[in-house]
Amino acid sequence: MSAPRDLVVELSGVNKWYGQHHALRDVSLGLAAGEKMVLCGPSGSGKSTLIRCINGLEAFQQGDLVVCGTRLDGTQESLGAVRRKAGMVFQNFNLFPHLTVLENLTLGAVYARFEPEHRAVERAHGLLARVQLTSQTFKFPGQLSGGQRQRVAIARALMLEPEVMLFDEPTSALDPEMVHEVLDVMEELARGGQSMIVVTHEMGFARTVADLVVFMDQGEIVEAAPPQSFFENPTTARAKAFIGQISHAT
Amino acid sequence: MGTLPRSFARPASSPPRRPPADARGVRAFAQAHLFQSPLAGLFTFLLGAVVIVALWHILRWSVVDAVWYAPDNGAACRTATGACWAVIVEKYRVILFGAYPYDQQWRGGLIVAIWLAWGAVSATRLLGVGTRLTGWALVFAASILLLGGGVAGLERVGTDLWGGLPLTFIIFGGTIAGGLPLAILLAIGRRSELPVVRLLCVATIEGVRGIPLLALLFFAALILPLFLPPQLTVDKLIRAEIGMIIFFAAYAAEVVRGGLQAMPEGQDEAAKALGLGYWLRMRKIILPQALAIVVPALFNDIIRAFKNTTFFSILGLFDVLGATKAALQDPNWVRYGTEGYLFVFLLYFIICSAMSLYGGSIERDNQRRVRRAT
Repeated sequence: MSAPRDLVVELSGVNKWYGQHHALRDVSLGLAAGEKMVLCGPSGSGKSTLIRCINGLEAFQQGDLVVCGTRLDGTQESLGAVRRKAGMVFQNFNLFPHLTVLENLTLGAVYARFEPEHRAVERAHGLLARVQLTSQTFKFPGQLSGGQRQRVAIARALMLEPEVMLFDEPTSALDPEMVHEVLDVMEELARGGQSMIVVTHEMGFARTVADLVVFMDQGEIVEAAPPQSFFENPTTARAKAFIGQISHAT
Repeated sequence: MGTLPRSFARPASSPPRRPPADARGVRAFAQAHLFQSPLAGLFTFLLGAVVIVALWHILRWSVVDAVWYAPDNGAACRTATGACWAVIVEKYRVILFGAYPYDQQWRGGLIVAIWLAWGAVSATRLLGVGTRLTGWALVFAASILLLGGGVAGLERVGTDLWGGLPLTFIIFGGTIAGGLPLAILLAIGRRSELPVVRLLCVATIEGVRGIPLLALLFFAALILPLFLPPQLTVDKLIRAEIGMIIFFAAYAAEVVRGGLQAMPEGQDEAAKALGLGYWLRMRKIILPQALAIVVPALFNDIIRAFKNTTFFSILGLFDVLGATKAALQDPNWVRYGTEGYLFVFLLYFIICSAMSLYGGSIERDNQRRVRRAT
């Protein structure tokens, strides 16, 4: 089987160590344009490390990582190029508390993409409408609920017009009643054909949205399959145990 | 049949009410804070009596028995039992403007007026931070031009004749204008990943913090010229000012570093993920928040910098304190030093309190506006 040509993210043989700890072991995967990948696994399995490597927030020691045609080689140029094409959403939102919602959105466009301010503002208004936060445009992040903050964070990442969206446990810091408003936005994005990689414990989301579910444990990819077969017929013992624990919890 | 639990909770539906009368108002406050117990009541009375007696004595000395005007070299002061404020009336021009040419002292007065006016405008917060800072830069430049002269038909006045409150303001303004950017650079450099940069910054900060300000000023003003080639003459005021700037920067750098360290890692990461480069992240994301965090400590250093201007009197430069000392050399008034220094004390107290209040209001502003979005 030859790899498809239109990969937005491609990792081959990526290895990462934290000191002596081998955090990512020979990770190879490819995300095709327009497809959605869900990374799951127990905590400490390396899924967050992996997604952070894709955006250059973590360095890796071995292997090849190509995002939208740019090879991450540790240079500032490659980092800048990758980050302009990949939007990142964090578990803790990481909105800029000293800027208004609108300024949070336009900052990157104006200063990293050199977009004229009036155009950035126009696009920001459009995206805020899309995540249904028009009424919060001029508020500060501290005045918003957790769910609203995460939707702002998604809109902020979308301002990059990213070819791939990276979500690092986007709903883990939310109160249960706010999880849905964020997942709804993500599902809407997915329906629109946005390529994305999502690290999440929301198995319902994985079931309905993912094209491929990737199960990681101890820094390795243990199993990768479409959701139907992953949840119905996991082949490895570790994946079976994980699915058992997840379904017990819900 | 299940047995009912013996624990219970009773649902209620009551509209919100005001607290009972004995929990609010002056009476409740006095009861809670002044007369909590018989012993506390006794202390309240005793300390209250001490304060009242002390206040009465101070009031009698400083107002009731005071002499406000004493011609003939203070004749009226010699028989008075109260304060001799006449010394201020007599010497205020020297105290406020030092040895500056008498007929040009309106220039110094104008400088003081501009500073107070722009300070008041800044405190209202009607203008943006950028406008306020630009304004201060202009005020500072205008002060130097006004005091030095040589432009627009103003008579040139050498820095050796500068003195009093305008000089104090200029020393202070220069310290902050030069010291704060330097402090930020030192703080950033100390956290740099480049070992040489980090080492240089650590050495500067720790070296300067290890020597007294006085020694630093003496070195800059008096000893440094001995090592410099004679062609290279830098004004004594400027040399001392550089010493002040470095001293301020070393302390403020540690304060700023505290703010940088308090920043959650996620802020920098989020800015990185947007594709912003190092200096943009610093300027737009990290520094605005880090500086807001350290406003209280920073104002501590800024107020101290204002008081440190008094060290210049030891170098033969006549800031307010130096000018006061010179004014009190007059044999006719020499015995009224207490009043003279009290006046200067009051001057410093008012200015420093104003800065303290201003710092406090910025702090409250930040808290109101920047509630943490984790």
